[in-house]
Amino acid sequence: MKKDLNPIADQKAEKISPEVKNKENSFATSLKDVFIEVALISKFAGRYFKEVFKPPFEFKEFLKQSYLIGYKSLALVGITGFIMGLVLTIQSKPTMAEFGAEAWIPGMVGVSIIREIGPVITALICAGKIGSGIGAELGSMNVTEQIDSMEVSGANPFKYLVVTRIMATTLMIPVLVIFSDLISLYGSYVGVNLDGKVSFTLFFSKVFESLDFIDLLPAFIKSFFFGFIIGLIGCYKGYNSKKGTEGVGRAANSAVVIASLMVFIIDMIAVQITTLFT
Amino acid sequence: MEKKTGNTLKLGVFVTLGVLFFIIGIYFIGQKQHMFSHVFKISGVFKNVGGLLVGNNVRFSGINVGTVENIEIINDTSVRVDMIIDESTHRFIKKDAKAVIGSEGLMGNKIISISHGTPGQKEIAENATIQTTQPIDTDEIFAKLKTTSDNAAAITGDLAIIMQNVSHGKGTIGKLFMDTVMAKTLDQTITNLKKGTKGLEDNMDAAKHSFLLRGAFKKEKKDKENEKKEKEKSK
Repeated sequence: MKKDLNPIADQKAEKISPEVKNKENSFATSLKDVFIEVALISKFAGRYFKEVFKPPFEFKEFLKQSYLIGYKSLALVGITGFIMGLVLTIQSKPTMAEFGAEAWIPGMVGVSIIREIGPVITALICAGKIGSGIGAELGSMNVTEQIDSMEVSGANPFKYLVVTRIMATTLMIPVLVIFSDLISLYGSYVGVNLDGKVSFTLFFSKVFESLDFIDLLPAFIKSFFFGFIIGLIGCYKGYNSKKGTEGVGRAANSAVVIASLMVFIIDMIAVQITTLFT
Repeated sequence: MEKKTGNTLKLGVFVTLGVLFFIIGIYFIGQKQHMFSHVFKISGVFKNVGGLLVGNNVRFSGINVGTVENIEIINDTSVRVDMIIDESTHRFIKKDAKAVIGSEGLMGNKIISISHGTPGQKEIAENATIQTTQPIDTDEIFAKLKTTSDNAAAITGDLAIIMQNVSHGKGTIGKLFMDTVMAKTLDQTITNLKKGTKGLEDNMDAAKHSFLLRGAFKKEKKDKENEKKEKEKSK
């Protein structure tokens, strides 16, 4: 009946509907892809937990990866941490001076660094450096069929390549966070002393005076999760990269993007959990 | 092989230092909360703790000697605050020492300050309840400030009325400032006073030279000179 009453509107609707349908389809496909990706990552994580406790343990490879991931990232994390501490102090100094609360700078900067800046900045840098590295390395191994040949020769590539890397990131990121916190605090100390005179002892005593276990422990615990997710995403993307050189690039790129995003999501959840105890 | 050993060594140093720094951090935070030192417990009962929190510092002679361990409401008018205090300061805190809740500066955290007791008194016992002084309530200060400002407003209101009257020439002061006729009269009075003083001076000069009073003035002059000489001699 309506068709007869308004034929022009009906014609328009017929013209638009394929585009709308396409849009709806593409949105549904993307959503479906996201859920599939989540499921595959969960399955990958499940396989990791299954393999991690099963002997034989690739201890030498684990040590090598720990050295590459932990020790080799120290310089980058240290420089960034130092600059973060310095900049945070210099930026907050004028505002604090307005309130006559310059004496609070060490405490404020200390809490900010230990609680949030240290772990998150370190995790983001590691997501960029380590996540992309693992993604590209495993991706290229996959492309050149090295992983397949390992499987054929009877070795367990998942155990050798994935488990060692995820374990290394999970254990090394917290150590890097500790160094980053310490160097950031030193950067802040330098920042305070650029146009003032605060002794080293006074500065650190002020910092520790403002800190509590509720500041240090949740930040330290969440850095294990950051490390785990960086390793997991990097390995997953590299291990399952598409064939071809493009696949390697994509694996590295998406490893960084997803790992960074996951760092923020974990951080948000960690903050919510921490506030339950304060 | 050597390179591998070197890398493992570097990794070992890296991890050991990281763990060491973490333990040092834990130690310093724990030490601040007196977790690694011998402590004794005391408590105080307050009507109002004014925002005091668990973990706030306890000070004696301006030194942080302990922390607040627990805060508990014991009835509708009293709050019990449990404190842990470093054992090394135990002997200085006397039985009659008093605890008061204060604050670290204008924007600072709340703290408990323990005052000195009377010298010679016995030290406070473990788990004893310390005497307390009720903290100064900021609401009370603001209430008093309000009364003061109300009074100031009333005074300034009266002052405004007085100033208005003065500017309109009302009252003695108003007339003095604003009335031109009165100013002229006052001016005339001062001129007359000056003239009268000059006349009086002339009359006194004439009196000094009159033969009736000349002797009296000379005697007075002589007395003054004698007095002066005596003073010089005595020096």
